[in-house]
Amino acid sequence: MNHSETDIALVEKYFDAALSDTEINHFILRVESDENFKSLFEQEKALVGAIRHHGLRENLQYLKAVESNLQDNKHLRINSPVKKWHYFAAAATIGIVILGKVILTSFNQTPDQLFEAYFKPYPNTFEATMRGNSTATKRTEAFQAYEQGDYQKAAQLFRDLLKTNKEPGMLLLLGNANLILGNIDEAKENFITLNKDFDELDIQSKWFLSLCYLKSGDVERARNILKELGGTEISYAAKAKELLEKVN
Amino acid sequence: MNQEEIILKIRSGGQTELGMIYEEYREEFLQWITKEYHLSSDDSKDIYQLTILIFHDNIKQGKLEHLVSSVKTYLFGIGKNIAKENLRKEKRYVPISQEKWLKENLIDEPSNPIDEDSFARARSALEKLGQPCQRLIELFYYEKKSIPEITLALDYKNPETAKNQKCKCMARLRKIFEQETVKNSNVINHESF
Repeated sequence: MNHSETDIALVEKYFDAALSDTEINHFILRVESDENFKSLFEQEKALVGAIRHHGLRENLQYLKAVESNLQDNKHLRINSPVKKWHYFAAAATIGIVILGKVILTSFNQTPDQLFEAYFKPYPNTFEATMRGNSTATKRTEAFQAYEQGDYQKAAQLFRDLLKTNKEPGMLLLLGNANLILGNIDEAKENFITLNKDFDELDIQSKWFLSLCYLKSGDVERARNILKELGGTEISYAAKAKELLEKVN
Repeated sequence: MNQEEIILKIRSGGQTELGMIYEEYREEFLQWITKEYHLSSDDSKDIYQLTILIFHDNIKQGKLEHLVSSVKTYLFGIGKNIAKENLRKEKRYVPISQEKWLKENLIDEPSNPIDEDSFARARSALEKLGQPCQRLIELFYYEKKSIPEITLALDYKNPETAKNQKCKCMARLRKIFEQETVKNSNVINHESF
């Protein structure tokens, strides 16, 4: 259905809360009486809803990562300075914290120690799996195995599935499973393919590729990727620095 | 930190603040809800995560500016409503599908929910939009950041550039959505033969 530029601008203004009360009243009357305008309104509502839902899902995954880190670090005293590490680790888990060269130059740790400190498997945010689902397909079985920490099984199933259908989410999780299993070369391949063949999950693939290089001791390549990420994702780099200060 | 400070911190903050609030009330909340509604540890955590997201969203959306009770009482009240609503609907407690729950309770208007097909196409369009557009519109529509805040966060030259970019991103999203709709109707037409 074709819509005029004026109508599109008007609907956008409505969802941006940029209309006056009188304009809102006219707007509502128009939605009720004009089918074409109503379809534009419904479309925008679905789009804004999807944007909000995406944000909520990201924060939900973040809380799950915080929860998982709390479980992993139960032995840490709640009020110790290490407390804020949970949030840092959780952010790294979902691939949004880009540490840049700051980390590689500020800590006297080996690349392997840095890898151990910063690597957390990326959570399954791609496929809903129900607890206790007895009629699982190979696909849900793969994601379930990943969620349950059975990375060997998950990796095998993801490899099989990827032969017929290459999906970015699956590649990311396979790369993570391979990293955990110590198959570093295969993990590198997974992240390079993900980066090369898909537009989405760009930051995540680079983040985990940098960790692959750290794990294999190739600090120079890791540093180059981290530098690139820190330079392009300014908001994340700023967040990483802010958190880093808090951790220190 | 007093209640006003907590609200202010969440309103201007990001995920770090969300994580801090999560940890602050976690133990007490989980102990209470597990016992009160005889829930498993996993189910209690699911409810707690939704509770924190509602609290966070209410602040970001400007629905919660002042608290008449404590944060703890507010959170327990939300948790109680989620658990009761789930029990009422299902007669016995069944695990909540969190993503579905978020759509039904934080996105949809009760009297006029978003059509499931349109919503699926909108989600698919958003996935295809790519960065930095996806991040920009999420900052605007979900995190409710102002254009000047987005200008700083994403390093745009000036607010005007950020605003133009936001409009361009939305136009691109609409276009992808329309393509998804056409693709979808072609599949339906094809299947009907």
